[in-house]
Amino acid sequence: MAVEFQSITRTYGTKRVLDGFDLEVEPQSFTVLCGASGSGKSVLFRLLVGLEQPDSGRILLNGRDITNEPPAARAIGYVPQNFALYPHQTVAQNMAYPLTLAKTPKAEIAKRVDRTAGILSITHLLNKTPDQLSGGEKQRVAVARGLLKDAEIFVLDDPLVGLDYKLRERLMDELKSLREELKATFLYATSDSLEALNMAQRLVVVDAGRAVQHDSAIAVYDDPRFARSLDLIGFPHANLLPGRIENGQVEAGPLRFKTPAGLRDGGIVAGLRPEAIHFEGSPRGASDDLAIDSRVTLVENLGGEAVVYLEAGSSQLTAALPLSRIAPPEFGAEVRVVVDPADIMLFDAVSGVRLDGGAN
Amino acid sequence: MADIVIDHVTKRFANFTAVDDIAMSFADGEVACLLGPSGCGKTTLMRMLSGLETPTSGRILFGGRDVTRLPPRKRNVGMVFQYPVMYPTLSVRENIALPMVYDRQVSTAERERRVEEVLDVLDIRPLADAFIENLSAGNRQKVAVGRAVARQSEIVLFDEPTTNVEVNAKLHLIRAFKLVAQRLKQTIVYVTHDQTEAMTLADRIALMQAGRILQYDKPQVLYNEPTSEFGGWFLGNPGMNFVPAEVAGGKITSPILAAPVPAPAGLKTGGKTTIGIRPEQVRMVGGPQDGSVAATLTEQAIGIAGRYLTKVRIGDTVLKVNTESRPPAPLGGTVHLIAPRERVMLFCDGQRVTV
Repeated sequence: MAVEFQSITRTYGTKRVLDGFDLEVEPQSFTVLCGASGSGKSVLFRLLVGLEQPDSGRILLNGRDITNEPPAARAIGYVPQNFALYPHQTVAQNMAYPLTLAKTPKAEIAKRVDRTAGILSITHLLNKTPDQLSGGEKQRVAVARGLLKDAEIFVLDDPLVGLDYKLRERLMDELKSLREELKATFLYATSDSLEALNMAQRLVVVDAGRAVQHDSAIAVYDDPRFARSLDLIGFPHANLLPGRIENGQVEAGPLRFKTPAGLRDGGIVAGLRPEAIHFEGSPRGASDDLAIDSRVTLVENLGGEAVVYLEAGSSQLTAALPLSRIAPPEFGAEVRVVVDPADIMLFDAVSGVRLDGGAN
Repeated sequence: MADIVIDHVTKRFANFTAVDDIAMSFADGEVACLLGPSGCGKTTLMRMLSGLETPTSGRILFGGRDVTRLPPRKRNVGMVFQYPVMYPTLSVRENIALPMVYDRQVSTAERERRVEEVLDVLDIRPLADAFIENLSAGNRQKVAVGRAVARQSEIVLFDEPTTNVEVNAKLHLIRAFKLVAQRLKQTIVYVTHDQTEAMTLADRIALMQAGRILQYDKPQVLYNEPTSEFGGWFLGNPGMNFVPAEVAGGKITSPILAAPVPAPAGLKTGGKTTIGIRPEQVRMVGGPQDGSVAATLTEQAIGIAGRYLTKVRIGDTVLKVNTESRPPAPLGGTVHLIAPRERVMLFCDGQRVTV
């Protein structure tokens, strides 16, 4: 089922939450909207399921304009960010409620409740009431209820937020398999970039009420077209250093290098991925590499990788290194790191638009 | 000097055993993390160290002194909780000083010296005269850390202190915490469910599951040499792969192995045997090589630090593979996997079998 948002605008008082939002969602894709909180993701979802109306713009399902249709006519499965469970009903009854309303046969309801409960590992909770559940368990029940519906589109609004990392790791796998099994379109919002990168077949970067970039997750990662895409997508977070281009020279924090061809003087933001900062022992050392003297302010140990936080002059840098190849530096150590200028991305300081050519 | 000895401690609540006969010790001046999923017993164990719970059986010794039945205030430990308990109408400086005001062994001059030291180590001097109610959650927690360590008790206990702190402030807190630990050399026990936090802070990690300690060792040893399937899975983003294996005629066969390998002498037959390998230890190449097995690339994504996180399928077996370079085949294509002999681990019924 194809979903299309056309120039959607939504204003609360003086705050424009959606500002000409355009997006074509591919049928049967796992599409993830990644944006900071307040960027408009939840409101967009509320418009899609019919809980609110846009001020202007249209929403199309398979080409049919549903902008003014009531929620029941849309057949969309929805897991809201703020969910409520009926306190006097069991988990099984809570899950079944939307199907009971839709007069689904009992045997079919039981079958779907069992299957979905299995996927979300809540089978042992089916006969409990919500007050007997922990916060994380309630959340899984709410996800299960949203996924139970007989629909071709499912909308999940940050369904894993706050759950323990290992539980999220497993549920991410389960949700992906579930989408394949249902052959449905999943629209999924998160502000967690690792979750977005892991889940997304198609990734939409949302900033200030607009979809600023829409591509495969790998393409967005490799070639961010806006400073916001670089900022939001990637873990550990990318370095964004404000600076200037002047007299053919880029200056941003500790970075000084010759301006790439075709760029004019003015304010810029230089972007650098943590893995593009190399430590001694890395297979690098080209003649145009930039050397940066810095001090280690913290080393986070992720097991397979280390995240190294550096202080270089008045700038803070985040670097990453694979522990299988390189031993991490000591806390407090003075280190020289190297950067290949070709790995530095340049963005306009005002518009955030990418200035250098980028990948390919 | 204060080491901590936990001498066969058990804690039962009605029919539920939260802590199940734990015997271990934390060395003097060491930072130890209790790590595990919710419900594993780590908080109950911590509450028994602080005196908020009494063991059903067993003893707890601080520096040789039996404290099992002492109330919290007689144990001389500093404590930092998930939600800092503080006096909103007092300044940061006064909050840090307060526990020492009633301690006759600390002179006024000494008290002031310690408060100033803590303000510096935690990098909160600019906030010294601010009131608690005007601080962010992260800074409040720094003050709580300051107050707990300024008393210079020999033992400081931390119960998930970063849970309610936003990501950036969390880094500042962890950095401050490292400095405090280095400078003051107190014995520290730190409870967390966050593997990265434990790996970053701890000299040694005690990994807990179902009321027991599964492994107690240096962070990199826990990561590189797990003694259980649970440990291999729990540490790592994502966790270790476990591939089914069969033992017959002194040989082990498995979809991830190109040819059978000799089974170690001690391996029992009839148990559930698996081969464990971390996603980043699997080599993925484009063409068949010596020791490689063919697999189908079924999923690809970006993981930590731009690495390629893929799923591959060998028959019915699904593996996660984490590589620095782009997969050598498109989605749905065939790749070849090598599980280096020195990287694979053998498990039987969830326990590591060492060769």
